[in-house]
Amino acid sequence: MSNFPMSKDAKELGATLLEMSMLLMVSGASAGRVRNTIDRVSNGFGYTADLLISQRTIIISVYNPDGHCVFNSFKRTQPHHINFTTVSEISRISWEVVENKWTIYELHEAVEKLKSGTHYPRLLVLAFTALAGASFCRLLSGQPIDMAFVFLGTFIGLFVRQEAMRLRFNFYLCVYFAALTSSLITGALVHFDQNINHEIALVTSILFLIPGIPLINAFSDMIEGNLQNGLIRGLHGFIISFTIALGLFTSIAIYRF
Amino acid sequence: MDAVILLEKCLWFGLAATGFAILFNVPSRTLLPVFILGAVGGITKVILIDYFHINIIIATFCGSSIIGILSIPFAHKRHAPPPTFAIPAIIPMVPGVLAYKMMQGLIYIASGDANPALISETVTHGLKVMFILMSLAAGVELPMLITRKQSAKELRFKKTYKKEEH
Repeated sequence: MSNFPMSKDAKELGATLLEMSMLLMVSGASAGRVRNTIDRVSNGFGYTADLLISQRTIIISVYNPDGHCVFNSFKRTQPHHINFTTVSEISRISWEVVENKWTIYELHEAVEKLKSGTHYPRLLVLAFTALAGASFCRLLSGQPIDMAFVFLGTFIGLFVRQEAMRLRFNFYLCVYFAALTSSLITGALVHFDQNINHEIALVTSILFLIPGIPLINAFSDMIEGNLQNGLIRGLHGFIISFTIALGLFTSIAIYRF
Repeated sequence: MDAVILLEKCLWFGLAATGFAILFNVPSRTLLPVFILGAVGGITKVILIDYFHINIIIATFCGSSIIGILSIPFAHKRHAPPPTFAIPAIIPMVPGVLAYKMMQGLIYIASGDANPALISETVTHGLKVMFILMSLAAGVELPMLITRKQSAKELRFKKTYKKEEH
């Protein structure tokens, strides 16, 4: 590490780059995407940046055109929360830097503005996720009554997860609560209407919790050679799956199928 | 009759993809492409499995490759990176039920019921889950892997080049 003085510009650029990589990481981008975006932005200003990306911490070193290290810092990531608007906006911002020659100040402003973020109305998110659950049920040849219960189970399950997250429960515990709630609701159908096999409703009601992004990103990271990131994400996805199964089996034990 | 069933499946695949897109908070301009990609990818998989009796792993790879390739023109049109379209669209193909069966098997084995049939079934489900996930990731990355480009922005089709020159 050189003792090259940190200029105000370099400091601001470094801090903004670190913020961007943190936002990308928690919003569900693969490690390769984080690295590409940061390279693109720092090269746009004539600097180069080296990153060490892990699930919970990011370390960055920024070098000026003469090859001197002008910024060095690390940051803990916030809890991961998938947000593809952030991913897409940061990609747009990075191209603005390259194509429209943004200043460091403009970049910083744009990233700050991004943090306030826009979200779909909560009811819409709940309704459409529930509809997605009902669609899964239909694809696996569920009947309308199964679909209705899956809709209800997913709706309330997701609501429980959101509330548990708000109360700052452990993440895996939030998933457990959600899986338990959903499967209790659809389990009631299986338990009280034993003439027809409703098991498909029970299985599909917890599919909204399936860690699709961690698992897919795990393999994307591995394909790109970021084996550590991939392994950690894969393990994270596996633990979530295990937690979902625990929730499901708790309600199976309650209903004694 | 078959066409009606397939069309209905398209609708459900599309809705499932769109639901997850909203859960992942994608920009609203990408919702329609996600619906289309989800429907096309899902139906490709179903047709390959039902009519051509192709293995589920290869069928999934074909479906996700189509999603990966189509996500590039959509990315240019709607100004968002390809994974924003591709990842919600492949979520309906994530083997949730197989993963559930694997977990069920693991828990039964852990609780002492370790007969050979259950063990082999659980291992089969687990391996299928792993290979399907791998083929999903590979399919989505396919255009990037083949063209050896870092960003979809450098990956333009001929037509667009000509338009830009004029």
